[in-house]
Amino acid sequence: MLFSVKNVSKAFKENQVLKKVDLEVNKGDVVVILGPSGSGKTTLLRCIDFLEKADGGELDFDGIHTDLSHASGKTIEKVRKKSAFVFQNYNLFANKTALQNVTEGLTVGRKVPKAEAIEIAKKALDKVGLSDKYDSYPVQLSGGQQQRVGIARAIAVNPDIILFDEPTSALDPELVGEVLKIMRDLAGEGTTMIEVTHEMKFAQDVATKVVFMDGGVVVEEGTPKEIFTTPKEERTREFLMRILPDFNYSI
Amino acid sequence: MKLNTEFMRETFIASLGGVPKTMLITILTLLVSIPIAFAMALSKLENKKVSSKFVTAYVSFIRGTPIVLQILFIYSLLPSTLNHLIKDVFGLSVNVFKMNKIVYAIIVFSLNNIAVLTELFRSALGTVGHGQMEAAMTVGLTKRQAYRRIIIPQALVAALPNLCNTVIGLIKNTSLAFLMAVQEITAISKMKAAAGYYYIEAYLMIALIYIIVCTVVQLLFALIEHQLSAYKKRLAV
Repeated sequence: MLFSVKNVSKAFKENQVLKKVDLEVNKGDVVVILGPSGSGKTTLLRCIDFLEKADGGELDFDGIHTDLSHASGKTIEKVRKKSAFVFQNYNLFANKTALQNVTEGLTVGRKVPKAEAIEIAKKALDKVGLSDKYDSYPVQLSGGQQQRVGIARAIAVNPDIILFDEPTSALDPELVGEVLKIMRDLAGEGTTMIEVTHEMKFAQDVATKVVFMDGGVVVEEGTPKEIFTTPKEERTREFLMRILPDFNYSI
Repeated sequence: MKLNTEFMRETFIASLGGVPKTMLITILTLLVSIPIAFAMALSKLENKKVSSKFVTAYVSFIRGTPIVLQILFIYSLLPSTLNHLIKDVFGLSVNVFKMNKIVYAIIVFSLNNIAVLTELFRSALGTVGHGQMEAAMTVGLTKRQAYRRIIIPQALVAALPNLCNTVIGLIKNTSLAFLMAVQEITAISKMKAAAGYYYIEAYLMIALIYIIVCTVVQLLFALIEHQLSAYKKRLAV
């Protein structure tokens, strides 16, 4: 197994957002986390990358073993260097061009020589279809283009796993497609990903594993086929019925 | 009323001699107060409990008292206190009273300016969204690198208009250094005026010099702002 977390717990003040959540990811997996808003899925993703400090839980990631609540700075750095994060609202560095956004993690974060970093960054931007936008600043790009730079920034560092936090939720509907297409391509190439999303079609078509969360726990997990056609849990069925108008499950 | 133009010309030239001193006080004050204020703003933002309480108290105290009072306080209190410290506590034979008066001016203006700049930097750093720091962390930057390469360059652009105001305010406040017998623009003109009772002429010349100096500073800031905010232009240039 490439990656796993066990017993992840997190509370914001009185509100217990995560209650002992487990998650396992194999190399090449596309794990999609579904769930109603407030179910803790984004918090789980953020705890994995130490953007939120979990109250408890363990992480195993390609030879790194650590407690999520007491990880040392060194360990956090190691985890971050082997992973990448794509944000809901892109979070591109506003004072850097598209190209510099991608090279930053290479030259500064990973000490890659500048010329080589530019080469890699250009390839990553070409891959997401932005070969004509190297020198544009984020403010000059559309939401979809910004998110594609965000994905280029993530793939350029050749991570073992990419974490996507609702990458299409902030986009206009007509821009969602361009981002999803790139994510499909990445999945096709065997990129390991964990994605929090509301894109059911993407989950059905691309995911190797679907995890349904509600109320801070994993209610059910399985293949897309299992979750979307034969969900075992009542809560999963209710959620899918609300979200998919033509949802029909076999009993 | 007739203005004595000959006196005005003379006073203008003589007072120009005070410009270097005014600028020296301004620049040294900025050099002292900018790093300290920045550190204090950070300690407030990063919520270091003890230091942020101290910073809040300090800022309220300085902002709550007139600068003239601060000057009078420091100028009457500091020399004798220093004298006591050096002579009686450390046993050194240094004559504090012969120390250059500019040092006191810089101390007062720095103490005052640190409070102003702390709030200025705090609000400027606050304009940079939290997501910028998070993104920097996830691509593998350290906190220090994130501040230096991502956060500060953006905060600086947000801070520039206010920083310009503060610097201009400081330049004008240095005119109060005449209270500490520092020979800057205002002090020189006032002395010239006293000699022949040409106060209006002298004041006009003081105003003219400050207007020139402050205009130059504003133009400089506008230029820097234009350079640093290139990334905010919607259309590529």
